[in-house]
Amino acid sequence: MAGRRVLITGVGSHVGSLLAQRLERDPDVEHVAGLDTRPPKVALDRTEFIEADIRDPEITRRIPRTGADTLVHEQIVRQPGLGMSPRAMHDVNVIGTLQLLAACERVPTLRTIVVRGSAGIYGAEPHAPQFFKEEMARLFPLRTRFQRDVAEIENYFETYARRHTGVSCTMLRYQPAIGTGLRTQITRYLTQSVCPTHMGFDPRIQLVDIEDALEALVAAVRNPVPGAVNVAGSGTIGLARLIRLAGRRALPIASPLFGAVTSTGQRLGLDTQSEDFQRLLRYGRGVDTRRLVEDLGYTPRQSTVRAVESWASSGARGGRWPRRSDGFPPTAAA
Amino acid sequence: MNSATAIAFMRRLRGGLDSGLELPEALGRGATALPRDARETLNRIVDRLDGDYTEDEWGFDEEFAELVEPLFAFLYESWWRVQVGGAERVPAHGRALLTANHAGILPWDATMISMALLREHPLPRYPRFLVLNWAFDLPWVSPGIRKVGGVVASPFNAMRLLEQDHLVAVFPEGVKGTGKPYSERYRLQRFGRGGFVEIALRTGAPIVPVAVVGSEEIYPKLADLPFVARLVGAPYFPVTPTFPLLGPLGVIPLPSKWRIEFLEPIETETYGPDGADDRALVLELSERVRGEIQQALYANLVKRGPAFI
Repeated sequence: MAGRRVLITGVGSHVGSLLAQRLERDPDVEHVAGLDTRPPKVALDRTEFIEADIRDPEITRRIPRTGADTLVHEQIVRQPGLGMSPRAMHDVNVIGTLQLLAACERVPTLRTIVVRGSAGIYGAEPHAPQFFKEEMARLFPLRTRFQRDVAEIENYFETYARRHTGVSCTMLRYQPAIGTGLRTQITRYLTQSVCPTHMGFDPRIQLVDIEDALEALVAAVRNPVPGAVNVAGSGTIGLARLIRLAGRRALPIASPLFGAVTSTGQRLGLDTQSEDFQRLLRYGRGVDTRRLVEDLGYTPRQSTVRAVESWASSGARGGRWPRRSDGFPPTAAA
Repeated sequence: MNSATAIAFMRRLRGGLDSGLELPEALGRGATALPRDARETLNRIVDRLDGDYTEDEWGFDEEFAELVEPLFAFLYESWWRVQVGGAERVPAHGRALLTANHAGILPWDATMISMALLREHPLPRYPRFLVLNWAFDLPWVSPGIRKVGGVVASPFNAMRLLEQDHLVAVFPEGVKGTGKPYSERYRLQRFGRGGFVEIALRTGAPIVPVAVVGSEEIYPKLADLPFVARLVGAPYFPVTPTFPLLGPLGVIPLPSKWRIEFLEPIETETYGPDGADDRALVLELSERVRGEIQQALYANLVKRGPAFI
């Protein structure tokens, strides 16, 4: 384990930055390099920052210079919208991975690859088993663009691992993360004044605490196991309860109108929701984390419910019931 | 509740809101005007509105199940006058796979098996049941089913539940059972491919055959409208004496008389988990369970006598 040289792609992301910080403090890690176009979100002491676009063939020259034995691939865009078109998202995810693996061919020292993938590959299905196991990724057709992206990324890494038997490739399939300071689709959704829901549905949602998300990555770097591993907090939470714990109000919309209403909301400047997320809000998704605990050796500290509670208690909780003094409901005198 | 208490409740509620309290607190203040049991119920509802309730990882909400119990109790006692035999044969703790015949379009038989165990078993426990997949695409139905213990009919769900030492009810006839015409009532359909036996063998859970008499008469299916079914995405579209003639009222089940008999459990532990890979053993056990249920159905039909009185 000693003297590891780690390269992190997407070091400018929230989790990427925290991971670099975490590995810097690890005495077993000799060298940390971070690749991104965005600067890291936290101050890093000894991380070598490589400012490069993962889609740029340039990285085939710059990555081998790091002499990395471990690659943590974190540059996967999970939601379009945030200043990024679906096309650009696809480019980063698929072309970026392709370029990255091309660069990896030139790194003879490489032994370990850890990918922060997504449980989104399973989709959100009404007839799905409540907890997907790792081997069930092909149970349902790939319905959304992001799902197809993730499947393509996984295929590329599988092929790479098959051709390079000396390299162990761990594909971590993450459920959506929640935590203080994190801006993801789910936290943005839960901090809106009203949360649109599918009328008459209460999907089971499973999340992972940001700390656990990070520690699972570290555990995979330390103890690489080949193949896919699900990452999530134990248990699930109903969306209705999730919204109530977040101190928000649900706005039930009949399913056939859901897309139309939310896209109108988008035009009026409200939050956007990806197709995946809309399906998640209707059907939910859970994953089986036995492999994470038994093979990878990491037990998440926070259950899904606890992760939500600690996120809500850290100040993210909204006031569910507007006070009358705020002018709501309007009084007859007003 | 008489009108005086209702007025006092409303007055305090409005007073609370006027003085700038939030709705849950104002409701709490109003509740002080109510009699004790109503107050407790109201407080529970207020807590639930604030997200203060628990569901397990399957969405089962025991408190909700208790809240809706009076409805099922009415159906159990007065509507269907359920008589139960052999409840004590169901293991009081640990895993077990209840295997029953299926009828009646909506999973009323599952709820009545639950009620039978809650009422007649010396150590009452809530069974979990596997529900036909398409119900989980229906608004209100899908969260409702989950809250009272239903899960998507997937072998993976059954395995996980049994590994967690739950009591799991399955209906191996599946949609073939609920969708059969009235003229074929109580004639057991094929038991799938014996998947339920594989699950029991893999988890070492005993199989408890259950014979349910009465569920076939609640929605006598006279005809099927397959084109309508395709339109709404359902496996079949039943025509019963009341549906779709009376519209939503047709969902009210007919008051037939029910008998539920739990039969002697079949141990599977002796075969070991590898027994699940033995096709001959799986099919043999499946056929045995089917035969026992069929026999018990005929016996109970005779004991019950006329279907509705």
